[in-house]
Amino acid sequence: MVSERTLMLIHYLTGLGILVAGAVHIGTVFLTAPVKENLEFAGSPFAVMGVYRNAILAGSLEALLLFVAFHAFNGLRVILIELYQSPRWEHAVTWALTVVALLVVIYGTRTIIIAYSIAQGVA
Amino acid sequence: MAGRRNGLAVLVEALRTWLVPYRYGLERWSYTLQRISGVVITLYFVAHIVETGYVVGGPSVWTIRPDAQQYAERVWTETIKFLSNPLFDAGLAIIGFFVAFHTINGIRLFLAHFGWGLGRPTRPEPMHRPQSMSPTQRALFWASIAFAVFALVYTTNAFFGVLA
Repeated sequence: MVSERTLMLIHYLTGLGILVAGAVHIGTVFLTAPVKENLEFAGSPFAVMGVYRNAILAGSLEALLLFVAFHAFNGLRVILIELYQSPRWEHAVTWALTVVALLVVIYGTRTIIIAYSIAQGVA
Repeated sequence: MAGRRNGLAVLVEALRTWLVPYRYGLERWSYTLQRISGVVITLYFVAHIVETGYVVGGPSVWTIRPDAQQYAERVWTETIKFLSNPLFDAGLAIIGFFVAFHTINGIRLFLAHFGWGLGRPTRPEPMHRPQSMSPTQRALFWASIAFAVFALVYTTNAFFGVLA
Protein backbone atom coordinates (compact mmCIF):
# COMPACT_ATOMS: atom_id res chain seq x y z
CA MET A 1 0.00 0.00 0.00
CA VAL A 2 1.09 3.53 -0.75
CA SER A 3 1.45 5.58 2.41
CA GLU A 4 -0.91 8.43 3.22
CA ARG A 5 2.06 10.81 3.11
CA THR A 6 2.90 9.84 -0.47
CA LEU A 7 -0.75 10.06 -1.54
CA MET A 8 -1.08 13.59 -0.15
CA LEU A 9 2.22 14.62 -1.75
CA ILE A 10 0.88 13.41 -5.12
CA HIS A 11 -2.41 15.20 -4.32
CA TYR A 12 -0.52 18.49 -3.96
CA LEU A 13 1.66 17.89 -7.02
CA THR A 14 -1.34 16.97 -9.21
CA GLY A 15 -3.04 20.12 -7.89
CA LEU A 16 -0.10 22.15 -9.21
CA GLY A 17 -0.25 20.17 -12.47
CA ILE A 18 -3.96 20.97 -12.86
CA LEU A 19 -3.09 24.64 -12.31
CA VAL A 20 -1.00 24.50 -15.50
CA ALA A 21 -2.88 21.97 -17.67
CA GLY A 22 -6.28 23.36 -16.54
CA ALA A 23 -5.18 26.89 -17.40
CA VAL A 24 -4.19 25.68 -20.88
CA HIS A 25 -7.56 23.90 -21.31
CA ILE A 26 -9.71 26.78 -20.03
CA GLY A 27 -7.52 29.26 -21.87
CA THR A 28 -7.94 27.50 -25.24
CA VAL A 29 -11.73 27.33 -24.84
CA PHE A 30 -12.36 30.82 -23.45
CA LEU A 31 -9.50 33.15 -24.33
CA THR A 32 -8.42 32.31 -27.87
CA ALA A 33 -11.70 33.20 -29.64
CA PRO A 34 -15.40 33.64 -28.78
CA VAL A 35 -16.63 30.48 -27.01
CA LYS A 36 -19.19 29.77 -29.77
CA GLU A 37 -16.41 29.61 -32.37
CA ASN A 38 -14.26 27.31 -30.20
CA LEU A 39 -17.21 24.98 -29.57
CA GLU A 40 -17.60 24.31 -33.29
CA PHE A 41 -16.37 20.93 -34.54
CA ALA A 42 -13.76 22.30 -36.96
CA GLY A 43 -12.91 25.36 -38.99
CA SER A 44 -10.67 27.37 -36.65
CA PRO A 45 -7.35 26.66 -34.89
CA PHE A 46 -8.99 26.25 -31.47
CA ALA A 47 -12.21 24.54 -32.49
CA VAL A 48 -12.42 20.92 -31.20
CA MET A 49 -10.51 19.33 -34.10
CA GLY A 50 -8.05 22.22 -34.14
CA VAL A 51 -7.15 21.53 -30.51
CA TYR A 52 -6.77 17.78 -31.09
CA ARG A 53 -4.69 18.26 -34.26
CA ASN A 54 -2.11 20.05 -32.11
CA ALA A 55 -0.05 17.32 -30.40
CA ILE A 56 0.98 19.61 -27.52
CA LEU A 57 -2.62 20.62 -26.73
CA ALA A 58 -3.88 17.03 -27.09
CA GLY A 59 -1.03 15.87 -24.83
CA SER A 60 -1.89 18.51 -22.24
CA LEU A 61 -5.49 17.23 -22.24
CA GLU A 62 -4.17 13.72 -21.49
CA ALA A 63 -2.04 15.18 -18.68
CA LEU A 64 -5.08 17.06 -17.37
CA LEU A 65 -7.10 13.82 -17.45
CA LEU A 66 -4.47 11.97 -15.40
CA PHE A 67 -4.01 14.81 -12.90
CA VAL A 68 -7.73 15.44 -12.37
CA ALA A 69 -8.53 11.73 -12.13
CA PHE A 70 -6.00 11.27 -9.32
CA HIS A 71 -6.80 14.56 -7.57
CA ALA A 72 -10.59 14.07 -7.73
CA PHE A 73 -10.71 10.46 -6.59
CA ASN A 74 -8.06 10.92 -3.91
CA GLY A 75 -10.10 13.89 -2.67
CA LEU A 76 -13.23 11.72 -2.57
CA ARG A 77 -11.24 9.06 -0.69
CA VAL A 78 -10.17 11.62 1.90
CA ILE A 79 -13.77 12.78 2.36
CA LEU A 80 -15.13 9.23 2.61
CA ILE A 81 -12.58 7.96 5.13
CA GLU A 82 -13.13 11.09 7.18
CA LEU A 83 -16.89 10.51 7.28
CA TYR A 84 -16.52 7.07 8.81
CA GLN A 85 -13.52 5.23 10.23
CA SER A 86 -12.80 1.53 10.09
CA PRO A 87 -9.99 -0.43 8.42
CA ARG A 88 -12.49 -2.39 6.32
CA TRP A 89 -14.26 0.77 5.13
CA GLU A 90 -10.97 2.48 4.31
CA HIS A 91 -9.77 -0.54 2.36
CA ALA A 92 -13.04 -0.85 0.43
CA VAL A 93 -13.20 2.88 -0.37
CA THR A 94 -9.57 2.97 -1.54
CA TRP A 95 -9.93 -0.02 -3.86
CA ALA A 96 -13.35 0.96 -5.24
CA LEU A 97 -12.16 4.48 -6.06
CA THR A 98 -8.91 3.18 -7.58
CA VAL A 99 -10.94 1.00 -9.95
CA VAL A 100 -13.33 3.84 -10.88
CA ALA A 101 -10.41 6.26 -11.42
CA LEU A 102 -8.64 3.74 -13.67
CA LEU A 103 -11.82 3.19 -15.72
CA VAL A 104 -12.23 6.96 -16.17
CA VAL A 105 -8.57 7.31 -17.23
CA ILE A 106 -8.78 4.40 -19.70
CA TYR A 107 -12.07 5.66 -21.20
CA GLY A 108 -10.84 9.25 -21.41
CA THR A 109 -7.53 8.20 -22.97
CA ARG A 110 -9.40 6.25 -25.62
CA THR A 111 -11.45 9.38 -26.44
CA ILE A 112 -8.29 11.49 -26.73
CA ILE A 113 -6.49 8.93 -28.94
CA ILE A 114 -9.46 8.56 -31.32
CA ALA A 115 -10.07 12.34 -31.41
CA TYR A 116 -6.36 12.92 -32.12
CA SER A 117 -6.45 10.36 -34.96
CA ILE A 118 -9.62 11.88 -36.48
CA ALA A 119 -8.20 15.39 -36.19
CA GLN A 120 -5.12 14.51 -38.27
CA GLY A 121 -7.42 13.89 -41.25
CA VAL A 122 -9.62 16.97 -40.83
CA ALA A 123 -8.90 19.88 -43.17
CA MET B 1 -20.10 8.79 24.08
CA ALA B 2 -20.99 5.41 25.55
CA GLY B 3 -21.73 2.38 23.43
CA ARG B 4 -21.25 1.64 19.76
CA ARG B 5 -23.14 3.85 17.37
CA ASN B 6 -24.25 2.54 14.03
CA GLY B 7 -22.69 3.65 10.75
CA LEU B 8 -25.67 5.74 9.66
CA ALA B 9 -25.67 7.86 12.84
CA VAL B 10 -21.94 8.47 12.44
CA LEU B 11 -22.46 9.39 8.78
CA VAL B 12 -25.29 11.83 9.53
CA GLU B 13 -23.27 13.53 12.25
CA ALA B 14 -20.16 13.72 10.06
CA LEU B 15 -22.14 15.15 7.15
CA ARG B 16 -23.74 17.73 9.43
CA THR B 17 -20.30 18.71 10.68
CA TRP B 18 -18.91 19.54 7.28
CA LEU B 19 -22.08 20.77 5.61
CA VAL B 20 -23.02 23.29 8.32
CA PRO B 21 -20.17 25.81 8.56
CA TYR B 22 -21.81 28.41 10.84
CA ARG B 23 -20.26 29.58 14.12
CA TYR B 24 -16.76 28.19 13.55
CA GLY B 25 -15.11 31.03 11.66
CA LEU B 26 -13.71 31.52 8.21
CA GLU B 27 -11.63 28.37 8.20
CA ARG B 28 -14.71 26.16 8.51
CA TRP B 29 -16.35 27.98 5.60
CA SER B 30 -13.21 27.36 3.57
CA TYR B 31 -13.27 23.66 4.53
CA THR B 32 -16.94 23.19 3.64
CA LEU B 33 -16.74 25.11 0.36
CA GLN B 34 -13.53 23.32 -0.67
CA ARG B 35 -15.23 19.95 -0.20
CA ILE B 36 -18.54 20.82 -1.82
CA SER B 37 -16.71 22.37 -4.79
CA GLY B 38 -14.43 19.32 -5.01
CA VAL B 39 -17.36 16.89 -5.11
CA VAL B 40 -19.26 19.01 -7.67
CA ILE B 41 -16.19 19.34 -9.92
CA THR B 42 -15.64 15.56 -9.68
CA LEU B 43 -19.24 14.93 -10.82
CA TYR B 44 -18.74 17.40 -13.69
CA PHE B 45 -15.40 15.75 -14.58
CA VAL B 46 -16.93 12.27 -14.86
CA ALA B 47 -19.91 13.63 -16.83
CA HIS B 48 -17.49 15.45 -19.16
CA ILE B 49 -15.50 12.26 -19.82
CA VAL B 50 -18.73 10.32 -20.50
CA GLU B 51 -20.13 13.06 -22.74
CA THR B 52 -16.95 13.43 -24.83
CA GLY B 53 -16.67 9.62 -24.96
CA TYR B 54 -20.00 9.45 -26.84
CA VAL B 55 -18.70 11.84 -29.50
CA VAL B 56 -16.18 9.22 -30.67
CA GLY B 57 -18.64 6.32 -30.46
CA GLY B 58 -19.51 5.54 -26.84
CA PRO B 59 -18.31 2.66 -24.65
CA SER B 60 -18.52 -0.04 -27.34
CA VAL B 61 -16.15 1.60 -29.87
CA TRP B 62 -12.43 1.04 -29.29
CA THR B 63 -11.15 1.33 -32.86
CA ILE B 64 -11.24 4.14 -35.39
CA ARG B 65 -14.37 3.59 -37.48
CA PRO B 66 -14.23 4.24 -41.24
CA ASP B 67 -16.77 7.06 -40.89
CA ALA B 68 -15.21 8.32 -37.62
CA GLN B 69 -14.95 11.94 -38.70
CA GLN B 70 -18.53 12.29 -39.97
CA TYR B 71 -19.82 10.35 -36.96
CA ALA B 72 -17.95 12.55 -34.48
CA GLU B 73 -19.04 15.76 -36.21
CA ARG B 74 -22.69 14.63 -36.18
CA VAL B 75 -22.68 13.58 -32.49
CA TRP B 76 -20.71 16.68 -31.46
CA THR B 77 -23.22 18.97 -33.18
CA GLU B 78 -26.15 17.07 -31.64
CA THR B 79 -24.51 17.22 -28.18
CA ILE B 80 -23.94 20.98 -28.40
CA LYS B 81 -27.56 21.43 -29.51
CA PHE B 82 -28.77 19.27 -26.59
CA LEU B 83 -26.64 21.17 -24.06
CA SER B 84 -27.67 24.59 -25.38
CA ASN B 85 -30.32 25.42 -22.84
CA PRO B 86 -30.41 27.71 -19.81
CA LEU B 87 -30.23 24.79 -17.37
CA PHE B 88 -26.82 23.62 -18.62
CA ASP B 89 -25.64 27.23 -19.04
CA ALA B 90 -26.44 27.89 -15.38
CA GLY B 91 -24.78 24.60 -14.41
CA LEU B 92 -21.58 25.54 -16.23
CA ALA B 93 -21.57 28.99 -14.60
CA ILE B 94 -21.78 27.28 -11.19
CA ILE B 95 -18.96 24.92 -12.20
CA GLY B 96 -16.96 28.03 -13.14
CA PHE B 97 -17.60 29.49 -9.68
CA PHE B 98 -16.52 26.29 -7.93
CA VAL B 99 -13.44 25.71 -10.10
CA ALA B 100 -12.22 29.27 -9.48
CA PHE B 101 -12.83 28.98 -5.73
CA HIS B 102 -11.21 25.54 -5.47
CA THR B 103 -8.15 26.79 -7.38
CA ILE B 104 -7.34 29.87 -5.28
CA ASN B 105 -8.38 28.28 -1.98
CA GLY B 106 -6.27 25.26 -2.94
CA ILE B 107 -3.26 27.55 -3.41
CA ARG B 108 -4.03 29.04 0.02
CA LEU B 109 -4.07 25.55 1.58
CA PHE B 110 -0.84 24.69 -0.25
CA LEU B 111 0.85 27.80 1.20
CA ALA B 112 -0.60 27.16 4.68
CA HIS B 113 0.67 23.59 4.53
CA PHE B 114 4.21 24.90 4.05
CA GLY B 115 3.74 27.51 6.79
CA TRP B 116 3.65 30.53 4.50
CA GLY B 117 1.59 33.49 5.72
CA LEU B 118 0.71 31.91 9.07
CA GLY B 119 0.81 33.86 12.33
CA ARG B 120 3.14 33.07 15.22
CA PRO B 121 1.98 30.35 17.61
CA THR B 122 0.41 31.79 20.78
CA ARG B 123 -0.62 30.38 24.13
CA PRO B 124 -4.10 28.88 23.62
CA GLU B 125 -5.88 31.03 26.19
CA PRO B 126 -9.69 31.25 26.10
CA MET B 127 -11.12 33.18 23.18
CA HIS B 128 -7.84 33.11 21.27
CA ARG B 129 -7.99 33.39 17.52
CA PRO B 130 -6.35 30.57 15.58
CA GLN B 131 -3.12 31.77 13.98
CA SER B 132 -3.85 29.59 10.97
CA MET B 133 -6.21 32.35 9.82
CA SER B 134 -3.74 35.23 9.73
CA PRO B 135 -4.54 38.41 7.78
CA THR B 136 -2.62 36.96 4.80
CA GLN B 137 -4.61 33.73 4.85
CA ARG B 138 -7.87 35.65 5.29
CA ALA B 139 -6.99 37.85 2.34
CA LEU B 140 -6.31 34.75 0.24
CA PHE B 141 -9.65 33.23 1.26
CA TRP B 142 -11.50 36.38 0.22
CA ALA B 143 -9.44 36.50 -2.97
CA SER B 144 -10.72 33.00 -3.78
CA ILE B 145 -14.31 34.17 -3.22
CA ALA B 146 -13.70 37.26 -5.37
CA PHE B 147 -12.17 35.17 -8.19
CA ALA B 148 -15.06 32.70 -7.96
CA VAL B 149 -17.62 35.52 -8.30
CA PHE B 150 -15.65 36.88 -11.26
CA ALA B 151 -15.70 33.42 -12.88
CA LEU B 152 -19.45 33.14 -12.25
CA VAL B 153 -20.08 36.47 -13.99
CA TYR B 154 -17.63 35.69 -16.81
CA THR B 155 -19.07 32.25 -17.60
CA THR B 156 -22.65 33.49 -17.27
CA ASN B 157 -21.89 36.18 -19.82
CA ALA B 158 -19.98 33.80 -22.08
CA PHE B 159 -22.63 31.07 -22.10
CA PHE B 160 -25.92 32.93 -21.83
CA GLY B 161 -24.76 35.47 -24.35
CA VAL B 162 -23.69 32.77 -26.80
CA LEU B 163 -25.35 29.39 -26.41
CA ALA B 164 -28.93 30.21 -25.48
